[in-house]
Amino acid sequence: MSTQSPDSFVIDGKLALPYQYFAGRTGSRFLTSIRDEKKIKGLKCEKCNKVFVPPRQTCERCFEDISENWVELENAGTVTGFTIIRYEEPHQPFKPPYILAQIKLDGADTSLTHIVKGVALSQMKTGIRVQAKFAKNSTSTIMDIDHFRPIKPKFELGYSYDELEIGMSASFTKTITESDVYQFAGISGDFNPMHLNEEFAKMTPFGTRIAHGALPQSLIAPVLGMKLPGLGTVIPEITVRFRKPTYFGDTVTATAEVVEFIEARRWVKLELTWTNQRDELVAEGHAIAIPPTPMG
Amino acid sequence: MNKNRNVGIIGVGQSEFSSHREDVNQPEMIHEAVVEALNHAGITIDDVDCIVHGNMELFEMIHQPDLWHVLGSGAYGKETMRITTGGTTGATLCCAADHLVASGLHDVVLAIGFEKLQEGHTTGGITNMADPLWARQLQTGALTGMTAEQMINEFGEDRAKRASMKYRIMMDQHAMKNHKAHRRFGLQWDQAEDLMVNSPALVGELRMIHMCSQSDGACVMIFASEEKAKEFCKQPAWMKDHITVHREESFYMFGDAPVVTSHRYAAEKLFERNGIKNPKKEIDVFEMYDPSSWWGLDWLREFLLFENDEHIKMVENDEIAIDGEFPVNPSGGVTASNPIGATAMVRVAEAALQIMGDAGEHQVPKNVNQALASGFGGTMWTVLFLMTRDIPW
Repeated sequence: MSTQSPDSFVIDGKLALPYQYFAGRTGSRFLTSIRDEKKIKGLKCEKCNKVFVPPRQTCERCFEDISENWVELENAGTVTGFTIIRYEEPHQPFKPPYILAQIKLDGADTSLTHIVKGVALSQMKTGIRVQAKFAKNSTSTIMDIDHFRPIKPKFELGYSYDELEIGMSASFTKTITESDVYQFAGISGDFNPMHLNEEFAKMTPFGTRIAHGALPQSLIAPVLGMKLPGLGTVIPEITVRFRKPTYFGDTVTATAEVVEFIEARRWVKLELTWTNQRDELVAEGHAIAIPPTPMG
Repeated sequence: MNKNRNVGIIGVGQSEFSSHREDVNQPEMIHEAVVEALNHAGITIDDVDCIVHGNMELFEMIHQPDLWHVLGSGAYGKETMRITTGGTTGATLCCAADHLVASGLHDVVLAIGFEKLQEGHTTGGITNMADPLWARQLQTGALTGMTAEQMINEFGEDRAKRASMKYRIMMDQHAMKNHKAHRRFGLQWDQAEDLMVNSPALVGELRMIHMCSQSDGACVMIFASEEKAKEFCKQPAWMKDHITVHREESFYMFGDAPVVTSHRYAAEKLFERNGIKNPKKEIDVFEMYDPSSWWGLDWLREFLLFENDEHIKMVENDEIAIDGEFPVNPSGGVTASNPIGATAMVRVAEAALQIMGDAGEHQVPKNVNQALASGFGGTMWTVLFLMTRDIPW
């Protein structure tokens, strides 16, 4: 008994509400094939041409008994709707937040409600393809499907055309050393003494050895090919205008930023900049990128 | 008393009643009874205009079960309504279906009462009915030894105990003829002495053997307008009249004085407005909601408006047996089967089957021109039906 107001008692009560749920013979067969065969099955009404999952003994539309008309479905499907559970209740299967989704399995006409894992909450959306992951230990309930998770491609890919936005940017930074320059001379065959011979270099306008221009320029390759758009990208064009030399020991940052969509070809244009530790613009230019397209 | 339109009962369906129905979920169990009722009426779900659905609130701990049950009820795309009035739910469903047809709103209404007690926790649902400090004079739940106590005081221990046990054995013998019934013990007369003493006591002299079961099951009835009833059915059971009476407290608030029960009040009013002077003579069969054999015995007096021990004599003289002068519960009654949300409807359905001549093995061996059926619920809530073989209005 508590007294929230001075002259009125409030009497607290509590009831336990135990109950059980009978899956029935039809529901039990559905659960048995998940448990023993790792197969999700539905019941088909031939008359209405509908496949019900979870299964129903009778078609709710035409009232026909369909309880023996089992069809095997794919263990994969498409998310048709979802919600993110963020409040905590004692009866929940997991500690929130988690995703509860309606999943239309391939071959079914109705959606099955289940849990989706393996996707960032902010990235969850309808339409994604998911696959059933079966539980290690059976409870003979629907939780014998532990959860569904997105079907990932065999290889990770960078941003697709549709995922890119104007203003997205990425960069890579590296310190250019004497050893880098010497190896680059070997790679390119450019043994020009202005890069390799300090005494010779003293006579040039720079007064000391400088790196090959293409050496800092090449630092944009890891940006475009591995970050933005990323893996799977093809670069048909890069243009560069050099503004300052790169001396040995300089730290160069190569940056790319999406500035334009080339809609007709589903390509993007990126603005490129190279800067050093003195915030000087080393070089600038642009690239055309063919972003990766999802495989298979 | 008059009605806009006559209403006939043209189809009855019942699932098998049992304490164990793991083989079906709720909509599947309901579907069994729906299909049987449609077949009995010789119609399809397309002929049905409206579905009324009900059970005890939260007994299965499921909110708005009628939505889920569309899978088995046939309510897809139809008018539908959910009704829950406690123990009388099944009876109130019949009242609603009758009103919906009599009013002219619908021509064919299918009423569904169900319960799946094994899935839930009955006491959990009932216990909070009355305030624990002020309102415990209300009846909460059906387990009460009060009637046994009163009858023992009035008629003597031996006579009262023997009569209630005889009533119980008769009901079991009736249930043996009804293959849908849940509890069919096959009790013999020579077991009476033993059961009166050795059946586990619940409250005072209310013993386990006297008490109703907890059953799973569904009952479905189809109500039709006069025109449709005649079209679909050779002999409908006509709904002549029904009355609902409710009194809150089942004890007299100001001490130990007799109260007019809702049963007696309902019977007086119903008989008066239908010109029934001698109910025992004029009514051919009575399906009574008898939650225990003590109550069944005592309530016979209330419904038949007796003052003294005529009801005891009726039992002692086998008059309430299926082949007796005034057969009571040829189906076996509530002590045999009690899927609560369906129980009161089963009374009306069984009375209708007796009029239609379709009760099978437990059909009473005489013409049933007029039948009575009662529903009961807590606290003291009576619904009493009068059904006829001839078109009433």
